[in-house]
Amino acid sequence: MKVLRYLRDAALFAPCYGLLDWVSYIHPLGPFNITPWNPQPALAIAWMLLGGLAHAPAVWVTIVLADGVIRKFPAGYGVSVLAALALAAGYAAIAWALRMLLRPQPNLRSLRQLTLFVGVVAAGTVVVAAAFVYVLYAADALPPGAALPGWLRFWVGDAVGVLVTAPLLLVVADAERRANLRSLAQRGETYAQIALVAATLWLIFAGLGGDPSHHFYLLFPPLIWVAIRGGIAGAIIAIAIVQLGVVLGIHHRALQTLPVLELQALVAALTLTVLYLGVMVEERERAAESLKESLRLAAAGEMAGAIAHEVNQPLTALANYGRSGQMMIEAGRNAELGAVIERMLAEAQRASEVVRRLRDFFRQGATRLEQVPVSELLEAVRPIAAQAYAGRAIALSIDADQDLPDMLVDRLQIELVLRNLITNAIEAVEAHAPGRGQIAVTARRDNARHVRIVVSDNGPGVSAAVGKRAFEPFVSGKPSGMGLGLAVSRAIAEAHGGTLEARAASHGEFHLVLPTRADG
Amino acid sequence: MAERDRLVVYVVDDDASIRDSLALMLGLGGYATQLFGDAESFLVAFEPTWSGCVVADLRLPGMTGGELQSRVRARGSTIPFIIITAHGDVPAARAAFRAQAVDFIEKPFDDTQLRQAIDAAFALERRRIDAAELRRADAEKLSRLTAREREVLEHAVRGLHAKEIAAVLGISARTVEVHRTRIMEKLEVRNIAELVRFALAAADSPSPDRGAP
Repeated sequence: MKVLRYLRDAALFAPCYGLLDWVSYIHPLGPFNITPWNPQPALAIAWMLLGGLAHAPAVWVTIVLADGVIRKFPAGYGVSVLAALALAAGYAAIAWALRMLLRPQPNLRSLRQLTLFVGVVAAGTVVVAAAFVYVLYAADALPPGAALPGWLRFWVGDAVGVLVTAPLLLVVADAERRANLRSLAQRGETYAQIALVAATLWLIFAGLGGDPSHHFYLLFPPLIWVAIRGGIAGAIIAIAIVQLGVVLGIHHRALQTLPVLELQALVAALTLTVLYLGVMVEERERAAESLKESLRLAAAGEMAGAIAHEVNQPLTALANYGRSGQMMIEAGRNAELGAVIERMLAEAQRASEVVRRLRDFFRQGATRLEQVPVSELLEAVRPIAAQAYAGRAIALSIDADQDLPDMLVDRLQIELVLRNLITNAIEAVEAHAPGRGQIAVTARRDNARHVRIVVSDNGPGVSAAVGKRAFEPFVSGKPSGMGLGLAVSRAIAEAHGGTLEARAASHGEFHLVLPTRADG
Repeated sequence: MAERDRLVVYVVDDDASIRDSLALMLGLGGYATQLFGDAESFLVAFEPTWSGCVVADLRLPGMTGGELQSRVRARGSTIPFIIITAHGDVPAARAAFRAQAVDFIEKPFDDTQLRQAIDAAFALERRRIDAAELRRADAEKLSRLTAREREVLEHAVRGLHAKEIAAVLGISARTVEVHRTRIMEKLEVRNIAELVRFALAAADSPSPDRGAP
């Protein structure tokens, strides 16, 4: 089975390698495979990096075969086998080094991985190029004086080929990255970017005329756009497109002599820049994400503290009443127990009220919209207010326009919002002498689709800055508040497609805008 | 010594149920209580002569229990504070102890914990009251001395013999002896050692009713 799988993989690998070799056999030095663009080593390295070094012999055989099929063994069969051995061993060494260094997974996610990848590839291909050219030189196959330029050309070709193509292969092999690519493919922006890169390539090679390397810098802005928006996956795809464009461009102007080596060096520089940019963009996004996560955790901690406080109050009172009841029984004062038990029940009720409020708060997404007449909602405010200002002399006025359309809201949630606003208003006017506190609730038609409910009080009001902060969770003006009331209220209003704002004024004023029935 | 028996637990908490349940429980336990809904009303009513202890919530509207304690201290009272809180708040606890809170209790607490804290506070108060009583008694005794007797006492405490005192004051040694006997009678001490101890204690304690030394 193992052997079969090995042969199957090799049978898949060899034609792909051969195809790449054939496609990229351009601008060679003499009859040899010394070209300024060699993407096929990337395939060999990626295969050995992901699949293991056991593939090295298959790589060797494939290189020999490709040389035979494409170039008919230009230096003789023996030299070709030897040169292929140098290449296969060199690529295997690069794959091994990457396998050791890019742990646990070679995915180019971090600056460290990218730097190691670039370093190993650049250094490894220098050695491989030297070995390959030396074999040809030793066999006297090279024209005089061609060894050094051959080495350089082979190195640039291999290095650029691997830098451009290997990341592409690693991306395609990574399930999470493939998901990245799919989401990129669904964005219109991606196609605009591709079109822009293609247009720029056309300008460089055809539109502007002259030496394409002079206009190469034009590619930087679109590629920066790609890397910033698409991260490393976008950068890799864009680089591949640029490489393809450069190859096509060279082909298109095959009759003219172009500084192909120089162009490929430019591609290498561009590749490095854009890859690093993509990785940095992604690292920054990850950092922002983990910051958000820790903020969420901190908020949960705050929340737990606030809940503990809210539940502790009735629990403490309950325990006190319970102990009192015990003492009454010990003292034989059973007649008074009834009153104590009544108060215990009230405290238990209060504790369950806290829990219910929390459930309301966490019951997100379960909004049940129904048609509610405005007047009905506002009338629900009265008992809430009466309960909240228990005994305090505060004047409450409620005033709604006639013939307001019905609202389309979740009645419970909007009542919760109104309760919060009324409670706030009552606390705001508390500083006034008894009888001087005033709270007004008005409802007016805002536009065809919305009703504006204003809860105002004659308390001190808020400044613009405080008005903004008041809606942040855990910001409370009260020593005993959870600081969640307004944050939750605004979330509810926005979930309804409405808004909730504090107006900066010398008195308290909160504006709640809510949608009406569609035909209202 | 009537003050010892007038120790009151002053409860300052903005939560009506907590106040009510505490008053009931402490009342059944035999403590006298007075209730306040916030720090301001407590401060308005507060007299520095109050004794007992204050049981205050850490988070009160407008002022923390710790701030309340500092305000009370600023008015010259050492009445012990017990701070209760629903937040296990370390910095607040530290601040409370630095301002001499007797105890820091987290809600929900069990009643023995609170009673122990109150009893410890009351014990402190009783010691303070007893010491004050003693000082008052000493001062009262000192005030019985005549001016000349006070002069003699001052020199005697400094360790001078009857003859030396006589020489300093220009009176006979015999008269000094007579003064000294009268002083010991008035201060209710039996020998010179006790006399010296009495005088030193009186000099150490800054009692407001005491005359100039």
